[in-house]
Amino acid sequence: MRAEGQKAVGRGGLGVGRVWLLALRDLRLEVRDRAGVLSALSFLAVMLFIMALALGPEEGALRRAAPGVLWVALAFLATLLSTRAFALEVEDATLDDLLLTPGGKEWVYFGKLLFQMLLLFPLSAFALLLSALLFHLPLGKALPLFLTLALGGLGYAGVATFYAGLLARLRGREVLLPLLLFSLVVPVVLAGVRATAGLLEGVPLAEVASWWQLLLVFDVVYLTAGALLFPVVMEG
Amino acid sequence: MLKAAHPERPDALTWAFLGLGVLLLPVGLYLALSAPPDVNQGYLARIMYLHVPGAWLGYLAFFVTFLYSLLYLFRQDPRYDRVALASAEIGLVFMGLALVTGMLWARPTWGVYWTWEPRLTTTAILFAVYVGYFLLRGAIEDPELRAKAAAAVGVLGFINVPISYMSVKWWRSLHQTQSIDLTTGKIHMDPAMLQALLFNLFVFTLLYLGFVRLRALVAALEAQKEEA
Repeated sequence: MRAEGQKAVGRGGLGVGRVWLLALRDLRLEVRDRAGVLSALSFLAVMLFIMALALGPEEGALRRAAPGVLWVALAFLATLLSTRAFALEVEDATLDDLLLTPGGKEWVYFGKLLFQMLLLFPLSAFALLLSALLFHLPLGKALPLFLTLALGGLGYAGVATFYAGLLARLRGREVLLPLLLFSLVVPVVLAGVRATAGLLEGVPLAEVASWWQLLLVFDVVYLTAGALLFPVVMEG
Repeated sequence: MLKAAHPERPDALTWAFLGLGVLLLPVGLYLALSAPPDVNQGYLARIMYLHVPGAWLGYLAFFVTFLYSLLYLFRQDPRYDRVALASAEIGLVFMGLALVTGMLWARPTWGVYWTWEPRLTTTAILFAVYVGYFLLRGAIEDPELRAKAAAAVGVLGFINVPISYMSVKWWRSLHQTQSIDLTTGKIHMDPAMLQALLFNLFVFTLLYLGFVRLRALVAALEAQKEEA
């Protein structure tokens, strides 16, 4: 692991290379391990199944509840993934090695974020398909739905990565992370749910676009704030 | 706001803020109760003299927390962290006051204590963010890391303040729009009511300043004890 990191310093220069390297390394570890991805998958499946069971079996009620359930499930998924993004580093005591690499620390934030997005996007697509199955959703507008998922996922992961890094070395982080994350990402939940519900109900795209705008604004705000604050709180 | 000659005692300015605030509180109450009733809401509108200053001071307190959190992140001086902590705590109290008075007003006006409309929701979330701020502080033992983590939450959490303030405009919610609009500088209010409101706002500000100074002092004493 360390050899790869050092190679990146020589090659990456300003850090885009490093970001990819870190993300791909984490992804490779995750895929080799399998336990993480599988547990995330089964967590999503069980959660959606339980929610469908609890809210069903009436079709209309299920369909109305689906966007909310989907975004809550994704919020939990984001906490799960972001904890995993830092868990191995802390376990192997490699977090300090990463942070001590010369030339800024923002790239660690973006690397971890990219890693999460690489996992979060396919997983949320899976969640969407599964909820379409369990909650009787029409998937006519698949592309706009995926766009909503990507924008919302980026907002979730942007905040989650920052907090997970901050809490990585603390006890009790499993409780604190959702608490801090959920209260901050409420705008994303709101916009995500409205956009998804609008798409499923067949609202014209122009109306949904205003929610996308809101999501985009929050993504930019969260990512900027996260990237600026991350190096400060990870020092020492 | 930071320095004190005898750190173990509140200084004269703190006493002045607190004393003046407590003395003027009954005057503010008198003004509020003698202000003319509202055309539409009647006497019910008087809860505004508590509700609006509470909410404003809550916003102001969180802004001060944001400012001092930023200062702490750049300067790493524990005094900044203590002011941020004090302001967040007092802000929670004022925000809680605004929430409770708002609920008391909502029951006779809207028929329910609580409804999930944007202003109420964003304010409740704001409240939750700063409750999280204190839970985080409680979870970290190392003072330096605690201050740093709290400062990060103090900065990030502040994003919700402008959202909460602007929510009545952005979403055209059930909650009425601002009577004194800080973004355009327009005032939609009878002069007599405005006078009472501004006076109460002034009294609340005095109390806020006094409380924050006192709380920061208590935090300094706590830190001393922690070191010893």
